[in-house]
Amino acid sequence: MDRLERLINLTAALLDAERPLTADELHQRLPGYADSVQAFRRAFERDKDVLREMGVPLVLEPVDPMSQPGVEGYRIPKDEYYLHDPGLDPDELAALHLAASAVELEGADGVEALWKLGGWVAEGGPPPAMAALPGAVHLSTAFAAISRRQPVTFTYRGGERRVDPWRLAFRNGHWYLLGRDHDRNAERNFRLDRVESDIVPDEAAPSFEPPPDASAPAAPWQMGDEEPVRARLLVDADHAGWAVGQVGQDAVERREDDGSVVLGVTVTNRSAFRSFVLGFLDHAEVLDPPELRDDLISWLEELCGA
Amino acid sequence: MTEQRGGRRGADEKLQRMLALVPWVAARDGPTLAEVCERFGCTEADLLSDLDRLFMCGLYPYTPDVLIEVDVADGRVWIRYADYFSRPLRLTPAEGLALLAAGKAVQSFPGADQAGPLARGLARLARTLGVAGDDALDVALAAVPEDVMKTLRTAVDDRRQVELDYYSFGRDEDTRRVVDPYAVFSAGGQWYLSAHCHAVADDRLFRVDRVRAARLLETAVQHSEGSVASAVYRARADDPRVTVELARAARWVAEQYPVETSKELRGGRLRVTLAISERAWLERLLLRLGPDGRVSKTSDPALADAGREAARRLLRRYRSGGR
Repeated sequence: MDRLERLINLTAALLDAERPLTADELHQRLPGYADSVQAFRRAFERDKDVLREMGVPLVLEPVDPMSQPGVEGYRIPKDEYYLHDPGLDPDELAALHLAASAVELEGADGVEALWKLGGWVAEGGPPPAMAALPGAVHLSTAFAAISRRQPVTFTYRGGERRVDPWRLAFRNGHWYLLGRDHDRNAERNFRLDRVESDIVPDEAAPSFEPPPDASAPAAPWQMGDEEPVRARLLVDADHAGWAVGQVGQDAVERREDDGSVVLGVTVTNRSAFRSFVLGFLDHAEVLDPPELRDDLISWLEELCGA
Repeated sequence: MTEQRGGRRGADEKLQRMLALVPWVAARDGPTLAEVCERFGCTEADLLSDLDRLFMCGLYPYTPDVLIEVDVADGRVWIRYADYFSRPLRLTPAEGLALLAAGKAVQSFPGADQAGPLARGLARLARTLGVAGDDALDVALAAVPEDVMKTLRTAVDDRRQVELDYYSFGRDEDTRRVVDPYAVFSAGGQWYLSAHCHAVADDRLFRVDRVRAARLLETAVQHSEGSVASAVYRARADDPRVTVELARAARWVAEQYPVETSKELRGGRLRVTLAISERAWLERLLLRLGPDGRVSKTSDPALADAGREAARRLLRRYRSGGR
């Protein structure tokens, strides 16, 4: 009897169980475990870990509190185990297959997910291009909390944060978590690689309702928690095309005859905005507000004087 | 120890595949072995060996009447009496995330279809995962012009040369060059073209967002071998070296750029040496660092004041009146 058989039998037994099965019962019933209790315990612990790592919802519950107080057993609740079939049409499954073969998310694999959805289907030709997305330590924890609508706590910039997680956004090469910061009672962004602790979901908290129109900000200068300010930036003709690509057409306030553009953007991260502007060297200029323009001028003056 | 873990991963993958494959086969009337293998990514030999084991599985007391029934005949397979495996295991958050992120990334490719089967599939998948598809996950790759992207892809596919108007970020100037394209790909959110550049007679990596225009030429490529790795920036022996002292807040420089030496100083400060192939690159870095970065040594005296001179140039623009 090998390990694969034993794990299939264990999963079947726990899925089929009408009441929780104790470890002793599993030892007696399942073929494939050693007779020695100690050896069984070790193997059973490993098997439980394998199943839990795969996402099998293995629960430990009282067997029968009335007749057998204090005795606990295992089972797999069917409603938590079974996939809710998304009912994908063949062309939709093929499109997802194509996407999964074109994009690699570091540290994650879409293959097992596709198996569960009906396996790979070889349709649709080669992917249009290949893309690799960097992973982030807390990505799937954060995603799980978003789907369960559980508030989370974590340490960020030295402070404890409590946040209703709304969405994950990949922007400018980084993953961000967007949500409502409880203490500030406002929407905030957190760069996942700057989270300094584990992200801990609060299982006991009531679930929250995300706002219907939570939208991710597009740019680094909006990835901050400072007072929003509206800035206008003049970009010379040679760099206008690239700049508009970065901020989007909606941000274009004016196009000059010489090809230069005036862009209007909302800034909540002043140092990121300064870095963006300085990246143009002398091909761009902050027009207003005076606050941001003066900031930049004194930044440059300090550099000259140093 | 290592061996044990490797073995366990092997069992995991087989188990994952079985738990997905059994419901799929059981719901159908004898699919072919070939189709099962294709869908679940395994060889026929592997599949038959796994089915042999499944045949021994079932419920207590494991008498023939409560075992799973597996029939293989005429290249087809039937699985019966496995009602508890009537549906696959739900998606884990990590699996759902990987698939959603891949789909969302493809939707952010230039010129991607926003309303086709992928969008519908993603919406259905998101609902299954308990999230609102468009709100829970958002992936944006760098914005690049669709026409440039199309030209580059055609050039790669047809193995034709392409002429680029390329903004050289390092030198802050526009250049024109003919390249033999190898591949277009995205990494870390940016789009790149790897190619052999005839202007420098070497492999180079180009940022697609800095390609101002791309013209497809009639000529076929002369180089078709080349690895992305060889095109990534490498310091040259004769590049000037600059030593910069970084304040604690600027330590990210050492993580983000290839530093040649790095020395811890007091108060969390760091002293790093960088190879500088292009002056404008150093100017940007120093402008951005401001008081958090100070050039302490340079092998090329002309670079010693790069930050200050760039700042003066910018200030001239601000002082000439503004608008």
